[in-house]
Amino acid sequence: MAMAALRREGRRFAPLISPRPITAVRSSPIAPSHEDEGPIGVRYISTQVVRNRMKSVKNIQKITKAMKMVAASKLRAVQTKAENSRGLWQPFTALLGDLPSVDVKKSVVVTISSDKGLCGGINSTSVKISKGIHKLNSGPEKETKYVILGEKAKAQLIRDSKKDIELIITELQKNPLNYTQVSVLADEILKNVEFDALRIVFNKFHSVVSFVPTVSTVLSPEIVEREAESGGKLGDLDNYEVEGGETKGEILQNLAEFQFSCVMFNAVLENACSEQGARMSAMDSSSRNAGDMLDRLTLTYNRTRQASITTELIEIISGASALEG
Amino acid sequence: MVIVPATTGQMGVLPGHVATIAELKPGVLSVHEGNETTKYFVSSGFVFIHANSFADIIAVEAVPLDQIDANLVQKGLVEFTQKLSSATTDLEKAEAQIGIDVHSALNSALTG
Repeated sequence: MAMAALRREGRRFAPLISPRPITAVRSSPIAPSHEDEGPIGVRYISTQVVRNRMKSVKNIQKITKAMKMVAASKLRAVQTKAENSRGLWQPFTALLGDLPSVDVKKSVVVTISSDKGLCGGINSTSVKISKGIHKLNSGPEKETKYVILGEKAKAQLIRDSKKDIELIITELQKNPLNYTQVSVLADEILKNVEFDALRIVFNKFHSVVSFVPTVSTVLSPEIVEREAESGGKLGDLDNYEVEGGETKGEILQNLAEFQFSCVMFNAVLENACSEQGARMSAMDSSSRNAGDMLDRLTLTYNRTRQASITTELIEIISGASALEG
Repeated sequence: MVIVPATTGQMGVLPGHVATIAELKPGVLSVHEGNETTKYFVSSGFVFIHANSFADIIAVEAVPLDQIDANLVQKGLVEFTQKLSSATTDLEKAEAQIGIDVHSALNSALTG
C-alpha cells in the first residue's frame, strides 16, 4: 500500500524489481523482508528479520538433532530389557490364553502412556483405543473404569471421562524401570480396583519405526474358573493338576496376580521403547523440516540482499547521471 | 529332567509328567541336562507342566548359586529374625516371616 502511494507521487527511484520480491515464498507464515520507508527518497530493505529467523531455525535444528541422539541412546538401553521381558508373560499366555472376547461385567482399562511429550502420536493412539474399549464394554450391567499411567493419557482422559477414572499414576520413569517397582504398582491396582478383566493398553515395540497399539487381557480368577468349567476357551485348564495350596481357587488367585504383574512389566517396558522410538522419528522429521525451512530462508535472504544492493547501485548511478546530465 | 522346589516339596519333572500347575517356594532349582547339572536359587514363582512334555518355570527372581554371598545371607537371616521378634502387627510379622523363609532357604541352598 505504501508503494502505491509512492507510485502516485511519481517517485523516480522505483526499484527495478517488483516491490515484493518474495512472492515465491508466500507459503511461509511471515513476511521475511519488507521495504522500510525512511525519510523521503531513502529506501532500504531489511535483511535483519530474515537473519533472525534463520538463526532461530538453525538452533531448533540443532536441538532436535540432539534430542534424536538422546532418544536413540535411551532406546538402546531399554530395548534389551524389553526383549528379555517378553519371555515373562509368554508362559502365562500359553496356559491361560489372552482372551479379550470373554464376556465380563466389570472391566478395567489400564492405559500406559509417557510423561514427556514430543513423541509423535503414540499417546493419542493409546487413548483412542482405551476410549474404544470403554465404548465396546458399556451397556446394561457392564461398566468400564480407567487406571491411568503417565501424564499424557491423564491430560487427555481427564477431560471427558473424569468420573470413570479410578487411579492415576505418574512419574513412572524417574528411576530406571524394574520389576520390583512394577510389582508394587500392580499390587496397588489389585488392592484398590475391583475387576473381572483387566485390559492393558500399550504400544508394542516391533521395530524402531513401527509401534503397534496392543491390548493384553488378564482375567480375574473367578472368571478363569468360570471359563474353565464351562468348557469355553479355557476348557483345557481343568486337565491340569494343581499342586499345593488348599484350594484350586487360591492357586488361581496367585496365578492371576502374578500374571498381571508380569504382563504389566512387559507392557511398561515396551511402551517406554515405543516412546523413545517415536521420539526419534519425530525429532528426525523435525530436523529435516528445519533444514528445508533453512534452505528456503537462505534463498529469500540472498534475494533480499541482492535486491538491496541493486537498489543502492541504481540510486547511486541515477544520482551520478543526474549530476552529469 | 528338572527338580523344582514346589510348596509341597521338591518335585522332579521328567518328560511325560502329568499336566500340572504348581506354586514354588524359595529353594533350589536344578536342571539336569545329560550329565550336567545347573543349579539356581529361585525366590518363588510358578511351574506349568504341559501335557506335551514342555515345562515353563516362571520365577520372580532366579540366581545361579555361585552368585550368592554367604555373609549377606547370614546377616539377612539375623536381621529378619530380629524383625520377627520385634514385630507388632500381623503385616510386619508376615513380612519378617517371609524374610526368614527366604534366607534360611538360601542358607540351606549354599550348604546342601
